[in-house]
Amino acid sequence: MQSIDNPTVESSSQKKEPERGAGETASGALRAWLDRRYQLTPLFDFLSHKQVPLGVHWMGWYYLGGITMFFFMVQVVTGVLLLMYYQPGEATAYESIHFLTTKVPFGWLIRSIHSWSAHLMIISLLLHMFSTMMLKAYRPPREVTWVSGYLLFLLTMGFGFSGYLLPWNKLAYFATTVGTNIVRSVPVLGNWLLEVLRGGQDVSINTLYRFFAAHVVILPLAFVAFIGLHLLLIQRQGMAPPLGEKVAPRGMRFFPSFALRDLLLWLACLMVLAALAVFLPYGPGIPGMDWELGDKADPLAPAYPGIKPEWYFLWEYQLLKEFPPHLFGLEGPQLCLFVIGILFVIWALIPWIDRRAYRDKPSPAFSDLGWAAILFLTYLTLMGWDVGAHHDAEQLTSMQEVARVCAWWTLAAGAVVILVRSWRFGHRWFILTGAALLQVILHGLIGVSYLLAGLISFVLAAIAILVLLYFRRSGADAAIST
Amino acid sequence: MEEHTTTVDKPATSRRHFIDLLLGVSVVAWLASVAYPIIRYLKPLPQTGSGGPTHLTRDEASKLEQKQFVIVPVSGQRVIVVNVQDRTCAFSAKCTHEGCTVTYLPGQSVIWCPCHDGRFDLNGRVLSGPPPRPLSQYAVNRQPDGGIVISEERA
Repeated sequence: MQSIDNPTVESSSQKKEPERGAGETASGALRAWLDRRYQLTPLFDFLSHKQVPLGVHWMGWYYLGGITMFFFMVQVVTGVLLLMYYQPGEATAYESIHFLTTKVPFGWLIRSIHSWSAHLMIISLLLHMFSTMMLKAYRPPREVTWVSGYLLFLLTMGFGFSGYLLPWNKLAYFATTVGTNIVRSVPVLGNWLLEVLRGGQDVSINTLYRFFAAHVVILPLAFVAFIGLHLLLIQRQGMAPPLGEKVAPRGMRFFPSFALRDLLLWLACLMVLAALAVFLPYGPGIPGMDWELGDKADPLAPAYPGIKPEWYFLWEYQLLKEFPPHLFGLEGPQLCLFVIGILFVIWALIPWIDRRAYRDKPSPAFSDLGWAAILFLTYLTLMGWDVGAHHDAEQLTSMQEVARVCAWWTLAAGAVVILVRSWRFGHRWFILTGAALLQVILHGLIGVSYLLAGLISFVLAAIAILVLLYFRRSGADAAIST
Repeated sequence: MEEHTTTVDKPATSRRHFIDLLLGVSVVAWLASVAYPIIRYLKPLPQTGSGGPTHLTRDEASKLEQKQFVIVPVSGQRVIVVNVQDRTCAFSAKCTHEGCTVTYLPGQSVIWCPCHDGRFDLNGRVLSGPPPRPLSQYAVNRQPDGGIVISEERA
């Protein structure tokens, strides 16, 4: 560009290097220099032809992966800055964070951005994952992309869990005690895993050292490896075209049109992040989204009411509460871990379970599964949040009262979801959403125990699906015989 | 390869299989020799607590008088000591549900875990909530000089 704008430079460079073409720029020369050595032309050709499918879905869904990666990059930068002051240790971990936030210029800002960006990264990751699920972008040939994204989701949860302990405050101490204790329920290896995770029988400063190593070295290395794989697969295969079509009706060039839009959106995200970090430096003040330092961890101090994990672990925390001490010869937490394990395995294997999407056909049951999962998580999260509890009253609100208020909120959300899906998108398949809402009604409004309500809803949904399959098959047989 | 296997070839392929098997075994043995030290390294050493009975310090004893309970370390474990009228009892302070440190509610005479609302009576038995087992009990001995000794032997 400069050489075109400035004719004197152009003419002088022509004199020195007569082999260079008249219209050739400095960047062109650099590209030619690289190309002679590394044969980059095929790569540039590939990237210049890369397109983003347009014309069927709202385009916003395609930006969520990029936004998640942007927040991860913010985490890396702010995390490295925090490392320059943070000192893991019994007498230093809490103190160094205290010093960082009170004495170091802009220390509070770096910590605030790190915390806000962590929460926003998880929000954008969840939106990205659920939108991929609803749009069936996981169907062949993109199954491995789904699994790599799923592993990135697990690693992100690991980041959240390990980072929570590092300030070594009271809340983090007990949340980590509860969180790590779940591992004990793993069959055979449970106790060994628990000790390896904690560096001892109980959560102690040894746990902090291990979590520190995981948070700043092990998890980032694993994350970068999987994000590399995830991006490579996406670059190789392109973004998924709409269901039932091999190619999207229209496309937008990735370079520069989509990439520039991505950059602009990242800039907007940075602005939002900065505004949140400055105006709410310790979080919005809702349970599970609050990073006031509070008191230093003390293993000999009793836990206190209102100990809650981060909001994205609340559903598991609440599910743990709903299991009775013993069931089917197992301890409650063991069975709870088993149930959570099954749900996570199903979620990872969805590309193979969804046989209709596998054959590139619409699969309304799996769209419904996605919405049912959201409602299931919403109800548990609201209960974990104690929505509807009177915090000012002397007497604690009963769990049934909290469940009732949460049930009404979840039912309202469910009604909106069903109406929007049926009117706007013409969906007609609501069995699983219906089962999720039935469980909410039975537990929250009628007072049936959570697990029994879940079992009744599950059995009814299974019967409904079997009946539907039977009629569909007999209908197909009739169509064949006529 | 298999289609062309003849009686003449057999000794050669079985030798190749044997070499492959040896290679496979040595790869597994090599991996195990790398993994074993790492696994042992990660497994923490057993706790080396004093193990003997623990005398409550003056601070702990006065805290017990004031708040009716105190949490003290006994052989590396958290123990809650509760003072009710004329009786002093001690239990593991680790909730049997998820391991939170329990506290004592003097108004209701129950030991309470705030993490998941587990309640225990003053014999350590579960009253309500999700804890699957009772709290294990510790022996409390009052010394003639008024001192309190907590020991690991179950009462």
